[in-house]
Amino acid sequence: MTPTHEIPSHPTITFTVNGEACSFIMGDGSHELPPSYTLAQTLRERLGLTGTKISCDHGACGCCTVLMDGKAVLSCMLLTVECEGKEITTIEGLGNPVTGAIDPLQQAFIDNTAFQCGFCTPGIIMSAKALLNENPSPTVEDVKEALAGNFCRCISHYHVLDAVIATVKKGGE
Amino acid sequence: MKPFAHTSAGSVEEAVQLLAKYEGKAKLNAGGTDLLGVLKDRVLPDYPEAIINIKTIPGLNTIEECEEGISIGALTTLVDIITSPLIEKYCPLLKEAAVTVAFPQIRNIATIGGNLCQDTRCWYYRYPDKIGGMIDCFRKGGKRCPAVSGENQYHALMGAKQCFAVCPSDTAIALTALGATFTAVGAESIRTLPVNEFYTPLGNVLTPGEMITAIYIPKPSPVAGQKFLKFTLRKPIDFAIVSVASIITLDQGICTGARIVLGAVAHTPVRVLKAEEFLKGKELSEEIVAEAAEFALAKAKPLSKNAYKLEIAKTLVKRAVRGDSS
Ligand SMILES: Cc1cc2nc3c(=O)[nH]c(=O)nc-3n(C[C@@H](O)[C@@H](O)[C@H](O)COP(=O)(O)OP(=O)(O)OC[C@H]3O[C@@H](n4cnc5c(N)ncnc54)[C@H](O)[C@@H]3O)c2cc1C
Ligand code: SF4
Ligand code: FES
Ligand code: FES
Repeated sequence: MTPTHEIPSHPTITFTVNGEACSFIMGDGSHELPPSYTLAQTLRERLGLTGTKISCDHGACGCCTVLMDGKAVLSCMLLTVECEGKEITTIEGLGNPVTGAIDPLQQAFIDNTAFQCGFCTPGIIMSAKALLNENPSPTVEDVKEALAGNFCRCISHYHVLDAVIATVKKGGE
Repeated sequence: MKPFAHTSAGSVEEAVQLLAKYEGKAKLNAGGTDLLGVLKDRVLPDYPEAIINIKTIPGLNTIEECEEGISIGALTTLVDIITSPLIEKYCPLLKEAAVTVAFPQIRNIATIGGNLCQDTRCWYYRYPDKIGGMIDCFRKGGKRCPAVSGENQYHALMGAKQCFAVCPSDTAIALTALGATFTAVGAESIRTLPVNEFYTPLGNVLTPGEMITAIYIPKPSPVAGQKFLKFTLRKPIDFAIVSVASIITLDQGICTGARIVLGAVAHTPVRVLKAEEFLKGKELSEEIVAEAAEFALAKAKPLSKNAYKLEIAKTLVKRAVRGDSS
């Protein structure tokens, strides 16, 4: 994947979040976005998308996972200013925007009680979503590997595996 | 994070000119999976004035066959290395090492250049400023090393004088075994050096104005068996306690070539020539392999709390030479 054109430094930066274009003027003024802002900070504090959680803020827990151009990434380890032209999907962007119905993966988490406090859940669902987009019929081992970087303090991992596998089975029906 | 100026470079020339302009006060950002942690914790006495994004430089993220063998652009992500048919075919060892780095979200964005250049993980060095203040030490230009008489269970087994931190990069261990080189470009310089000369006791050979642009791997013998083994506690988030990379050539059961490199035992990958020499011309019986493992660790001088690493290292050497899968 070689970029086809030079991307100069932008005083304004634009990317899409859940299909909607977002623009920010970079800078340290009151209506501007500081270059030191992480994507996680921007999503939560500027866009009100608080479904994305910040826990360790050091790339070690997976709570802040979002999709960038379809791949799972850690939004706490990305500078917003470096997201120019990217397509970001957060937990709020799953499901059907017209009917408001949640994603089958989200429903499976409910059906399998795959969370307790729920703090890790958006990150886990986004990691699982990235896996299913790439591989609609993963094995249990594939799921474990895809979720290896998502930590759950409440030990919901077993139910999480059930939920993801249930979604896989349903998708195959 | 504390504020900084930010620029996205459109070319290598632009990136190194910016580095020159800031006279050591700018940092390159590739995947950011290491740099952002360092900046957030304010672990260094100097905070960069500017961050230069290099992800915007085109053409530095490809894996190709070339005259030297395989060339890998510095911005190639670890996931691209893991899924590359060329890497799989010629240097499965590098793939095995890259797979052990962290977890998918990190490997999707982390680059091989950043993996080589990442800062040490010594926990004194990385101690966050906001929890009681940054800890000064030799590596930061200070006058002492708190690890020597402190919590040194993850520190060096050999070759250290002032700083006992170990090389955190898994790909460096694999690349050293593969005899890889890298190219570093500065505003008025370009040089190519072996990866095993990259790390210095307190950092690496890059000047503040240089960046790595590519890595070259000579094609290894197709009959040689390659292996990378890593021992760690929590696989997705912990760094190697010890790792071993090996390339062993056998001819009718006799070892005709051996390369063995130890990881996380020193500030740099350690090629253990004595053990390699010892194996050559021999049949790899249990006894011979065990003796080679002793040779490999002969120079080790454990600190107060890390002697256990010695036994793990010997075991990994034996397994790697035998070609065990874990
Ligand atoms: C939870 C966690 C677990 C991890 N586990 C492992 C592990 O098991 N093994 C391992 O090896 N690593 C591990 N890492 C470290 C991980 O950050 C690196 O593996 C990663 O490859 C760094 O690449 P990057 O592109 O993100 O580097 P960046 O953070 O962008 O850069 C790191 C440093 O290198 C410099 N730099 C980057 N590119 C260049 C270049 N081309 N030329 C010159 N300088 C450059 C930057 O200025 C910076 O100082 C882990 C990290 C985390 C957060
Ligand atoms: S081992 Fe090195 S990095 Fe760690 S405290 Fe000692 S001098 Fe500093
Ligand atoms: S908050 Fe980003 S990985 Fe923990
Ligand atoms: S459900 Fe509480 S952290 Fe996972």
